[in-house]
Amino acid sequence: MNSKFSAYAHPEALVDGEWLSAHLDDPKIRIVESNEDVLLYDTGHIPGAVHIDWRGDLQDDLTRDYVTPEGFAAVCAKNGITPETTVVFYGDKSNWWACYALWAFQLFGHRNVKVLDGGRDKWIAEGRPITREKVKYSPTEYPVPARRRDDDIRAFYADTLAHARAKRPLIDVRSPGEYRGEITHMPEYPQEGVLRGGHVPGARSVPWKTAANDDGTFKSFDELKAIYTDKLGLKPDDEIVAYCRIGERSSHTWFVLNYLLGYPNVRNYDGSWTEWGNMVRAPIAKGEAAG
Amino acid sequence: MSDYPAALTEIVDLFEHLPEDEKRENLIVYADAAAACGPAEGETFDLEDVRKDEECTDTVGVFLRVDPATRAAHFRVNLGPQVQTLTKAMTAILCQGLEGATPEAVLAVPQDFVPKIVGGQLVRLRSQTVYYILTRMKSACKVWLNRERTAAGA
Repeated sequence: MNSKFSAYAHPEALVDGEWLSAHLDDPKIRIVESNEDVLLYDTGHIPGAVHIDWRGDLQDDLTRDYVTPEGFAAVCAKNGITPETTVVFYGDKSNWWACYALWAFQLFGHRNVKVLDGGRDKWIAEGRPITREKVKYSPTEYPVPARRRDDDIRAFYADTLAHARAKRPLIDVRSPGEYRGEITHMPEYPQEGVLRGGHVPGARSVPWKTAANDDGTFKSFDELKAIYTDKLGLKPDDEIVAYCRIGERSSHTWFVLNYLLGYPNVRNYDGSWTEWGNMVRAPIAKGEAAG
Repeated sequence: MSDYPAALTEIVDLFEHLPEDEKRENLIVYADAAAACGPAEGETFDLEDVRKDEECTDTVGVFLRVDPATRAAHFRVNLGPQVQTLTKAMTAILCQGLEGATPEAVLAVPQDFVPKIVGGQLVRLRSQTVYYILTRMKSACKVWLNRERTAAGA
């Protein structure tokens, strides 16, 4: 095993390029690419990988919500995934969307999941193979999950408000400018119609990027521990909520806290700032202070 | 009858009735061609507009030259490396489809051709990406026409 991985709480949740290269033809594995760039998969992808779009496949068409258990089962069946399949996620943007897709799979109880450390860019930088050939897998019979685990790993507005009022750990993973309320979207990203800037009162600012190296890989266990355990003061039994703008960057942090550091009670507030910043009478703090 | 320039009409006709999968394949072909849409060494332009907007993930340079005799517009577009694939595809489509149109004709191009080319699904998924390059090209034409009017009135 990759020596860096062995220190993590759940080293089995990460794979590197060498491991994945050796498992490209493993029938128990399904490689899933999830990107921000909607056509990037079509320009070339890891041989055998399928494309699952965070919005087109995992979100409901009409309501701002995820697909139903039936919809999730259909996505898995279409891509030849069974409940026993180990799904390895990778993508662009330091694996934001890969972590988001993994989190969504977890919403439906699909536990056999891994992330390719460094994602798409690192795979390509290592000179590993890319193809435009799209493999069609035989559809499977994926049983419809009994429920979506909204209560376990997902936080809604009311949950987050109660969490903030109870002064439980709340992590804002957006850029410092977004946290301070100077901007309402990521630098270099389009404004998505948020009416107020700032952060949820009590939230501490730990931008997602602090958990990633420049090549998109996750930082080591010791580095992550220094950020979240030592500096932020998170305790093993803490109930933690992370949020960003639409839930993608906070999925990255959710993965770090849950799988790499082993915090068992972490939820992703996927409504995030695009919900909070538009909510009438939602309390907001501005500036550097948590509030 | 469409209000699109002839070359753009040809592209719309090619894409319009393709199934989503084939639309995507053809978009990738166009995206691959985007690298050749940049200005060639030594080319001169009437207008150069290079900037990084919030609507796009990287810098986009739009270069416009209008033939004084025919009023035919010639666009070149330079894309930063982080620009998304759909934007690359739209760049190559528009450089080809608007080649030789007058600035007035470019300004008059309705946006409704975009869903016909990229498909309703991609427009729905990434609506802010697909109209960006057309907006930039129209903006360049508007500036060029304003300058022409100013020069004529001077």
